[in-house]
Amino acid sequence: MICDRIEELLAAFSDGELRPEERAEVERHLRDCPSCAALLESLRTADAALARFPEIEPPASLREALYAVPARRKFRFGLDVLLRPALQPVLAAGLFLLTLFTFYMFSPAKAEINKAVSRQFHLGYSRIEKLYAKAGSITDSLGGFADDVLVSLKKVNPLSKSDE
Amino acid sequence: MLVDLYSKKIFNMSYQFAGSYQEAEDLTQDIFVKLQHSLSKYDFGKNFTAWFLTLAKNHLIDEYRRTKWEKKQRDDFDEHVRTEASADDPEHGLAEEENRALLWSGLNDLPNDMRMAVILKEIQGKTYEETAEILGLPVGTVKSRINRGRLQLAKILRDRKESAHDL
Repeated sequence: MICDRIEELLAAFSDGELRPEERAEVERHLRDCPSCAALLESLRTADAALARFPEIEPPASLREALYAVPARRKFRFGLDVLLRPALQPVLAAGLFLLTLFTFYMFSPAKAEINKAVSRQFHLGYSRIEKLYAKAGSITDSLGGFADDVLVSLKKVNPLSKSDE
Repeated sequence: MLVDLYSKKIFNMSYQFAGSYQEAEDLTQDIFVKLQHSLSKYDFGKNFTAWFLTLAKNHLIDEYRRTKWEKKQRDDFDEHVRTEASADDPEHGLAEEENRALLWSGLNDLPNDMRMAVILKEIQGKTYEETAEILGLPVGTVKSRINRGRLQLAKILRDRKESAHDL
């Protein structure tokens, strides 16, 4: 059990980062425990071996491929635009509409939906016609009102008479 | 030019992490493509090397997680990693090569995050602070992760030595 605790401290011990009391505890244990002492020796061997791992040269073909990366990016630009995060809401909305359309196409109540949509469409259309007619009558009455105003202004303003 | 400055660093990092020369080439290319896409997001107030190595680290770990099933084996400890045995002390040189071969395959037994931390600190020689910046973790967490990794690798060497003595 004590070996588990000492093992946890071994790396820091090897780096000289333990507090004096912990360091003394590890040193005491190492004198009596060949297994932990062997582990410390292996730890130091491993550290030294890892530090001497060679840095290898990348192959020339890889460098050439890396120099070509910007050109390849231009070639893929179209796809990149489609995958932009800013387009995600548009794509999500498109997917939602597609789902609705699929639901409509394969729904057993398709005829009823058509009828309801047609009814709503005609109702809407007749409402717009009525509004348009109302707007026409309002325009006419406004025009008449404007004429009356002009006539009364001419009567009041003597300058306008002289213009005539 | 970024390729001249970083290709060797990224290739070695990929090779040490993935353990496959061929795969390291593909990963390095992927990382540079990713860099081209992400350069616009780089904050000029930050250390570029650390930022780029973080991007590389994220790609390597994501890619490993995504295709873990095909990455059980590392390349043999071949001519890419092997160095010339010491001329003065060939026996010692061979023992060191054997240790390195054990550690090379032992890296695969470490969890991804621990392996990356050990590679950055112990093989690439970064400081704890630099490693912590690249990994985006507190220094204390990184230290404990690296120490556990070192210990796990040391146990591989110790066990090998003990079994050699038993023979």
